[in-house]
Amino acid sequence: MATGGGGGGLGGGATGSAGNADHHKRNTFTSYVAPLPGDLRATADTNEWCLPSDLRDVHLGKPRLLQGEQIVASAPAYMYSPIDPMDSSGSVSGSGSSSSLPSDSHKEAIFGLLSVTNFKLAFVPLHSKRNPVATAAPLIDLYQENAYLGRNEITLNNIDHIYTIAELGRAASALQAARGIASHGISRRKKLEPFKQHNISGRIAALHIVCKNFRLLKFAFQQQDSKIFGSSDQGKLIASALVRFAYPMRHDLSFAYAHREPYYSTLGASGTSMYATKNDWARELIRCGATEWQVVSTASVPLLQNPLQAGKYTVPPHFVIPKSCSVDRFLDLSRAFCDSRAAFWVYSYGSNAALVRLAELQPAAQQDTKLENVMLELVRKCDAGRQLKLLQLTDRLPSIQDVLKAYQKLRRLCTPETPQKFMMQDDKYLSLLEKTNWLFYVSLCLRFASEAAATLRSGVSCVLQESNGRDLCCVVSSLAQLLLDPHFRTIDGFQSLVQKEWVALEHPFQRRLGHVYSAQPAGGNAELLESEQSPVFLLFLDCAWQLLQQFPDEFEFTQTYLTTLWDSCFMPIFDTFQFDTQAQRLKAVRDSQLVLRPVWDWGEQFSDKDKMFFSNPLYQRQKGDLGAQAAAAAHRRSLAVGSRAAHGTATGSTPSRNTMNPQLFSTASSVPQDRFLQPAHRIVDLQVWDQCYYRWLPILDIRGGGQPQVDLFHRLLLSNIAKVQRCLEFQNFDDLPDAYYEATGESRPNQQKDEKPVKEDEAEYVDGVERRRKTTAKAATPTNGLTSMSGNLQLSTLSSFFPFGNPIAGDAPHQLYDILSSSSELLMETSSFLDKSSIV
Amino acid sequence: MDSSAGLADKLPSKTVSSNSLDSKSESISLCSRHDVGENGVLRDTPFGYLDGEEDQDQKNDVTYVCPYRGPMFGALTITNYRLNFRSLPLRDQEPPMVVDVPLGVIARVEKIGGATSRGENSYGIEIFCKDMRNLRFAHKQQNHSRRTVFEKLQANAFPLSNNGRLFAFSHAAGNLVNGNGGWDGWAVYEPLAELRRLGVPNDMWRATKLNESYAICDSYPAVWAVPKAASDDFLKRVATFRSRCRLPVLSWMNPRTQATITRCSQPLVGVSGKRNSDDEAYLSFIMEANAQSDKLTIMDARPSANAIANKAKGGGYESEDAYRNVEIHFLDIHNIHVMRESLRKVKEACFPTTDDSKWQTAIDNTLWLKHIRCILAGAVRIVDKVETMSTSVVVHCSDGWDRTAQLTALSMLLLDHYYRTVRGFEVLIEKEWLSFGHKFQQRIGHGDNKHSDADRSPVFLQFIDSVWQVSQQFNNAFEFNEHFLITIVDHLYSCRFGTFLCNTEAERVTEDLKHRTTSLWTHINSSLDQYLNPLFPSFTQRAELVLRPIASVRSVRLWKGLYCRWNPGLCALQRGCQRTRELLSKQDQLFKLVNELRVKSNNRNTSMTTTRLASPMH
Repeated sequence: MATGGGGGGLGGGATGSAGNADHHKRNTFTSYVAPLPGDLRATADTNEWCLPSDLRDVHLGKPRLLQGEQIVASAPAYMYSPIDPMDSSGSVSGSGSSSSLPSDSHKEAIFGLLSVTNFKLAFVPLHSKRNPVATAAPLIDLYQENAYLGRNEITLNNIDHIYTIAELGRAASALQAARGIASHGISRRKKLEPFKQHNISGRIAALHIVCKNFRLLKFAFQQQDSKIFGSSDQGKLIASALVRFAYPMRHDLSFAYAHREPYYSTLGASGTSMYATKNDWARELIRCGATEWQVVSTASVPLLQNPLQAGKYTVPPHFVIPKSCSVDRFLDLSRAFCDSRAAFWVYSYGSNAALVRLAELQPAAQQDTKLENVMLELVRKCDAGRQLKLLQLTDRLPSIQDVLKAYQKLRRLCTPETPQKFMMQDDKYLSLLEKTNWLFYVSLCLRFASEAAATLRSGVSCVLQESNGRDLCCVVSSLAQLLLDPHFRTIDGFQSLVQKEWVALEHPFQRRLGHVYSAQPAGGNAELLESEQSPVFLLFLDCAWQLLQQFPDEFEFTQTYLTTLWDSCFMPIFDTFQFDTQAQRLKAVRDSQLVLRPVWDWGEQFSDKDKMFFSNPLYQRQKGDLGAQAAAAAHRRSLAVGSRAAHGTATGSTPSRNTMNPQLFSTASSVPQDRFLQPAHRIVDLQVWDQCYYRWLPILDIRGGGQPQVDLFHRLLLSNIAKVQRCLEFQNFDDLPDAYYEATGESRPNQQKDEKPVKEDEAEYVDGVERRRKTTAKAATPTNGLTSMSGNLQLSTLSSFFPFGNPIAGDAPHQLYDILSSSSELLMETSSFLDKSSIV
Repeated sequence: MDSSAGLADKLPSKTVSSNSLDSKSESISLCSRHDVGENGVLRDTPFGYLDGEEDQDQKNDVTYVCPYRGPMFGALTITNYRLNFRSLPLRDQEPPMVVDVPLGVIARVEKIGGATSRGENSYGIEIFCKDMRNLRFAHKQQNHSRRTVFEKLQANAFPLSNNGRLFAFSHAAGNLVNGNGGWDGWAVYEPLAELRRLGVPNDMWRATKLNESYAICDSYPAVWAVPKAASDDFLKRVATFRSRCRLPVLSWMNPRTQATITRCSQPLVGVSGKRNSDDEAYLSFIMEANAQSDKLTIMDARPSANAIANKAKGGGYESEDAYRNVEIHFLDIHNIHVMRESLRKVKEACFPTTDDSKWQTAIDNTLWLKHIRCILAGAVRIVDKVETMSTSVVVHCSDGWDRTAQLTALSMLLLDHYYRTVRGFEVLIEKEWLSFGHKFQQRIGHGDNKHSDADRSPVFLQFIDSVWQVSQQFNNAFEFNEHFLITIVDHLYSCRFGTFLCNTEAERVTEDLKHRTTSLWTHINSSLDQYLNPLFPSFTQRAELVLRPIASVRSVRLWKGLYCRWNPGLCALQRGCQRTRELLSKQDQLFKLVNELRVKSNNRNTSMTTTRLASPMH
């Protein structure tokens, strides 16, 4: 094994410390359960470390803590790359070759401090002075950075399985133990069960942590001298802390409740509709031209306000039902259906063909389908052509347990613990992939979504029926809308779609994503525990990703956006994906003063640079895309993109938020009818979502290749176009892009030398655009050709999982950072000057 | 290719249909102008005839049994170059279905059904093609149309088995009459010029014409680059110890580090473990020619078991004991027979239809992707030695003309960005494949009816597939696109051009292909636009990036654009590239506008003789 740079570009820094650490058996580090902030420093000062001298700065190893965050346990540990490249080149050599794995072990691990807090598992590398981290660290800048999490940190929420690897014997060092894992297979690998926290027996040499977002983390612990510390065992310490905190039994034990930091929304001007008010739904009805439907708010239904009665219904706060049906009658009917989910309208297309979600009848009522027929008849009356198609999903689509099994099998393929395992999987990879059934399920979802979309296109209403109407219904329903409506292919639209289909209509995120490990079942059966867990939402994101592959210029968002969305499911700080029902959410606010923080406020997690990678440079915005809800967004961006604001004339955009009388508006749908997508849905046409599933495997990272290069190229083109347009507008040709001089063969004006001081002064006062000019001016003066040369070199080392994946570890040259930062400024500039609609 | 001049030229390129013989697209456009003659019979120009192309047979009552659209009734034309079928559309608006196959693509023609066979469309011929498809035509039993079609196909598809000549010779004869407008593709590769590009001759290497008459090694080129330390006589002695006298000769040199890739065949070690001091000394010359390293790596492409088994036949491999400072690695690539079988299975899985429920397992079972993975992994290992360790590498397999060519050509492509341009790739094929004697005639079986010949094997196709894999991982590292690669594969079989005819350079000289046939490169370079990758003028263009593709089945994909292209349901979408072209042309348009403005204002400025040079429009 060699360094895979798994530790966020710190592989080089680990060389010395890992080697030295072996000499120091007498490790006097003690850890405290939930020490006060600053405690660790005291520990380090008074109780001297016997680790390499520069590791006395152990306080550097303390993770940055959020408001309300506390350290539960800390221990020095080695972090391993999830799987190491087999050659130094990072390629997989053919099996049976004479040179097997390189035997030098000293580069494989990073030494540091591993801490468990009530929010996250954090590993902070401790660097030896010989390899100052400064050489490699700045590279990280261009990769995605999360304001709440470092590169070597994961939220406890993200942890799915914890495996302990037993100690191999007195003689074995921690490093050997970790390597032994590879050679001895997984016989000593044991899964920690959520409710068996007292069952950790024996010494723990290493931990493998499998995350819900396909990441595999490997830590090894140094053996301890038992004469001094008795039975204390660092691995055990961490493991028991993890078992206790990573599997909360009640949701109010989640970090979200401890984190009291107030939230100041910057979403106000966003076009994302939260579907939290009656008006949001009414606007959607108007946008779709759905005149036969009405919004019901539980707050205004007397029956639901009656505490004796309300318990019988589990309806969301707002929902849309046929106009022809009174609320009371509807509620009466709904009692026959699972979770009270009787025929909720979600979307209309064309001349009033509606998309409706319906649960199945309660098991007790299933003998008598009369109520179901009555319900369907009500829906049919709303359809202009009095036509309706019932699409039963339960028998045709996988159950949530099937989805979970497929996901687990797929994840196993994406988290091999050893190179040997990787190669074994690789040898029959496609067969194994087929056996996961994941792509088969993706294919099914796309197929039924296409069928639903085709039904609506032909002017027939479509009713999606599923047992509780809250799982695969969400997938098919939201996919069908993605296929039909270009509005949902914008970022705001997509977010509104998720709010509508998943959040407002209550997909049980809390149970499906395993945020809470509810009551302990008898015997602690893990299967039972997981029966409620299922990454249905990931299935939807994967389907959306497949569409993105097939229609690369139809979506405003990128795959990076979708991947980030999956990661964000495990950020308890954001309430969006934390609850099963709206009632739960409101209760949490009322009873526990939970701070609600929508995940859509991306600025909370990411810098502008990272948000930039959410928007697709190939996307072509068209007139019709600015639906009712996008008007606000258009206004927000109108400064940057003038022409787009001009399009914001869609019906019912801004006027009168209070009076949503449909009579005031045009009754026709404002959804364009000519921009639907017809995706291929066979398995032959599908691909594995490599960015999301493989990004933690450095072995699969194509340095300088893959989609990011194409993506950046298009961003550069847009930036060039924007720059030249600006130059033309102001008739000032000082700041033409490099490509101009290359294309025209014109020599770059060389007066910059004289003006340089002036320019630098100028740069003091202005924003990123001008600062960029300064850097080019500086670099361009000596040798024009060389700048672009080194710029190319820079981008050629980007990860193919960019902005995920790992920056190059170790000996990255210094000058790379300069170019990286200037190119990122360039890209930011692009984002603000994208005038896509002006490009033919 | 000069980048600055190239950019402007490339911009107005056309949208490319990724999978068609260009002759086919030609014919389709001509078809649309075609009209039906007096008697409702097709007139005799259903496609654009090539130079030298002549009608051989025409039948107006043939049914093409399309595996996707069902039987179609229409007219079949056979020329000395192609088989062309055009359906008679039932309705006016319906475009006719056209099947256009160069006869060179045909591997086998068989009659199906006999005098007694019943049922519709059960009597006719079936044509098995080298390009992953089979065609089935049904004839009416009464009018004996089948016999002449069958005979004409046999005669024209397999001219070498019927005392005929390949179409390439007739085609060029026509070409000479018309003259060819562009430059000559035969001049693309100049051995000495290419060596000069690599920096040979230099202090350590020289070029020699020792083999000018192909007397030392009949399957090697006339010009070699060899270590200076080895004299001509010495080389002759080394040649005797190598299978078919294919001694180590330079393929590529890193101009900066002088680390080299040399290629050869296996040493004639035999069971007894013979040694040859000249061969041993020669390898040490190669090692010493590279001052950066005191080791030499031998990459034996074969699985080690095969290498050992070869000792029984007098071959073998270099023992690390006999050769000083040499390390040998086996790259585990299987032989031509294994590859042929693997591709046969790919055809089974892809044609005519795919079974979606078993698709992935079916592809897995072909092992094709695993073989591709091995080749990529081998090439990356060579790259790693040469680039990262600055160690010279000697590559060989058994004879050094199949797997060796795959490995050297692919690793050179990864190391040297020149080979990733259109021109450079042409040079690479001319050099590593054609001049070093990959036996195209035998491996493809041009004009030869021995369809089950054990010497046939898709070795070159596998190389093109590997290049495609690399181009999929590095989208912007290649000047050419997928269509370019598919065109090469199509004309590998078509026998329209002389490029892939014959087995060795010696044979090509004897046949005088340079004068009697046209080069494929002449054809390609005369309409470059459609073969260019719009992503190429991009970051990595001038960066001398060494590519290290990921050799894992997770990253290698089945090339549906090639293997599944006859299935109309599996056509890949190419929309992204279209948008790229739009953006590029928009950028270019703006650049031109600015340039004009600047030229104008500059002129004004010079006439006003202002002192200030900067920003004239301020």
